Amino acid sequence: MMNPIISLKNVYKSYGTKQVLKGINLSIYPGQVIGYIGPNGAGKSTTVKILCGLISDYEGEVLIEGINLQDDPVAVKSKIGYVPELAELYDVLTPVEFLGFMAQLYNMPEELASDRINRMLTAFGLEASMHQRMDTFSKGMRQKVLISSGLLHNPDIIILDEPLSGLDANSVIIVKDLISKLAKEGKTIFYCSHMMDVVEKVSDRIVLINEGNVIADGSFEELQQQQGNQSLEQIFAHMTAKESLSDAADQLMNAFGN
Amino acid sequence: MNPVNRFFLYLLLLPSRFYERMGVDLAQLIAILRIKLVMDDRRPNSIHQTRQKKQNKPIALATLGTMLFSVLLGSFFLMSFAVGKDPVTQLTIYFSFYIFLLASTLISDFTSVLIDVRDNLIILPKPINDKTFVLARLLHIIIHISKIVIPMTVPGMIYIGVVFGFQGLIGFILLVLSASFFTIFLINAVYILILRVTTPQKFKNVISYFQIGFAIIFYGGYQLLPRLMSKAALANFNIETAGWKWLTPSYWYAESWQFIDSFTFTTPLVTSFLLSMLLPVASIWIVIRYFAPSFNRKLSMISGSSDSADPTTVPSKDQQNRSTTSKMLMKFSEWFTQKGPERMSFLHTWKMTGRSRDFKMKVYPSFGYLIVYVVIMFLNSKKVSFDMIRDQTGGGKFVFIGILYFSGFMLMMAVNQVIYSDKYKAAWIYYVTPVKTPGALLSGAVKSIMTKFYLPIVVLLSATAIAVIGPKVIPNLILGMCNQLLIISCVGYISLRDLPFSAMQMMSGKTGSFIRGLFSLTIPMLLAVLHYLVYSYLLVILLLIVLSVIACWLVLDAIRTKTWNNILLRNYD
Repeated sequence: MMNPIISLKNVYKSYGTKQVLKGINLSIYPGQVIGYIGPNGAGKSTTVKILCGLISDYEGEVLIEGINLQDDPVAVKSKIGYVPELAELYDVLTPVEFLGFMAQLYNMPEELASDRINRMLTAFGLEASMHQRMDTFSKGMRQKVLISSGLLHNPDIIILDEPLSGLDANSVIIVKDLISKLAKEGKTIFYCSHMMDVVEKVSDRIVLINEGNVIADGSFEELQQQQGNQSLEQIFAHMTAKESLSDAADQLMNAFGN
Repeated sequence: MNPVNRFFLYLLLLPSRFYERMGVDLAQLIAILRIKLVMDDRRPNSIHQTRQKKQNKPIALATLGTMLFSVLLGSFFLMSFAVGKDPVTQLTIYFSFYIFLLASTLISDFTSVLIDVRDNLIILPKPINDKTFVLARLLHIIIHISKIVIPMTVPGMIYIGVVFGFQGLIGFILLVLSASFFTIFLINAVYILILRVTTPQKFKNVISYFQIGFAIIFYGGYQLLPRLMSKAALANFNIETAGWKWLTPSYWYAESWQFIDSFTFTTPLVTSFLLSMLLPVASIWIVIRYFAPSFNRKLSMISGSSDSADPTTVPSKDQQNRSTTSKMLMKFSEWFTQKGPERMSFLHTWKMTGRSRDFKMKVYPSFGYLIVYVVIMFLNSKKVSFDMIRDQTGGGKFVFIGILYFSGFMLMMAVNQVIYSDKYKAAWIYYVTPVKTPGALLSGAVKSIMTKFYLPIVVLLSATAIAVIGPKVIPNLILGMCNQLLIISCVGYISLRDLPFSAMQMMSGKTGSFIRGLFSLTIPMLLAVLHYLVYSYLLVILLLIVLSVIACWLVLDAIRTKTWNNILLRNYD
């Protein structure tokens, strides 16, 4: 078996007295699409922030392509493309300006960058608004720019945090298709989402974390074998919900009574 | 990029060899600085904000606008050279102006411009080393501050250069530099202090109170100081005679300038020079030593993004159980409003006005200005003595009526502001719920404003008036206050055509706003004059109270029964 491209060993992280990650162990191999799921507050975004080098004061070891993240974060960051969840971008800039700036931060040659920016934005159907300031953009348009910014430097590892939010149905198809094509090229994709049906279809390995621990890890079929023949949504609920969810729905219905 | 930015960029990149040797990635550094400067140019500044948002032209060259404004401010400082006869006095005042205004300009910029929290998500995941990032931020701060400081001091430089020659100019520039460092330190210290006593979430609120305070102090000082001192006293004012002179850093700066200009070695001059040179060094040292380590981290929490909030703080049981509506507020709402939309609007307005920064920033400064006005009125009417107010004779009557009718202006500001909110889109709730008469929402809001902002004034004013003048003033007091409520109700009836908190803040002319503005000024004045004329006729006063109450009640009722036809329907986007 080849070497893992991402490897987390006993990763712990606390905020103050609250421990968010309680010893995460994961080995991810090139070409895998990892569906990283878990309820709110489970430690998903903390893991993502560690992988992107945004949080450096964790305990344990994180190796990316054999490089220790704490030793050389810059080298690691140049291999990663990150699409953050909230549409955080400098919206007084135009997409071309913003992506050009991103390319400069990745030290990309200018011609290559501008050619790629042009092609990506055109492929996303943004050619008409390439030179308009993004403060007037819809959520979906911003998301397209963000996705472009994550892929721009052709990274080996792509971390996507809810990449489909705000996209219209057609764009969703494009992005889902894009993910599987990237994986075929050998890219490793780390896909965080709450949308179970998408994760079920897109990813070939699902990692479920809850309260800072990995509680399930395997392909969807393997999870089905363990948990019975259910949808991912049902498996997720079964493994993470403390109380029965249909009880909650009942209680909501009862709220109408007196 | 405009030439100014290009010039600064060129200047700061001169030691680029040195940067590279430090381990900075030059290409990335330039990329970050360029993009930051472009963004600065497109960010609406304070001048643009007060104008209007709906400008069709996108904002460009905001930098130049800001710089022009700074030159204007700087020329205004030149006033200080009209005071006194000796340069030390004049420069003490000049530097006081400078430090004060620079501080008030920068205090808001630090969060909004200089510490952009989006950097954390956009720049930090990129392969960029810490040195490059820190240097980029530092250089950006230097450019930003230079763009304010240089134009602000240019008028002073020209004056000093012309009057005192080259040596004086050099000294002046040196001291301006030192004073700027000192000011930046001051702001840092204020920031740290605020962060110590409050949570990052409340930080922006506290900063806006500071801004309100600055605005009021500035306005008050501008209006009052010249009045307090006669022209002759001003012309002969000499700082050397003041005992507290050593307590003001601006005096040290003025003395140092004297030292550089004349090279006289006297103890006070040399001491000042040393103090003013050491001050920035000490400030920087303190900032680096004590403040810097946790500073950036804490500042990055200010943005108030949900995940940066400390996840461990769970509201205590007590907090969870406590209703957000206090008992007193419930009582008020029961007394003053009818059940349903009106009461809901009353409570809603009460809470929104207490919590929305937007509202407070608009209304509270004007309260401050009004207080300044009242003080000015006192000072202007020199012929009025305390006895006259107590006995309500001559000018005393005038001052009493004046204050009484002035108190209503505050309410007017608040009522006019109540329709605005930066979360104006949330007003959809009014449209999807089955509200039959939207007027009830308006009258609830008006009553809420009256209770919240006028009740304290009523209590304060009555207590003072009765204490000073005695119980005989009560009928006139009541009439005056009833009239205020009547005026506010009328203003509400005429000008409120939007639902509470449903409109975007825009300064541009609403149709007929001039007429309405005129009305809202003349009616109170007219009533005040009438009240003044009938002041001593008790029976008339009593009759008028009854009439005023009835009128007020009728007008409020008219607001409540406004139909959807009277409300401007806004289509968002």
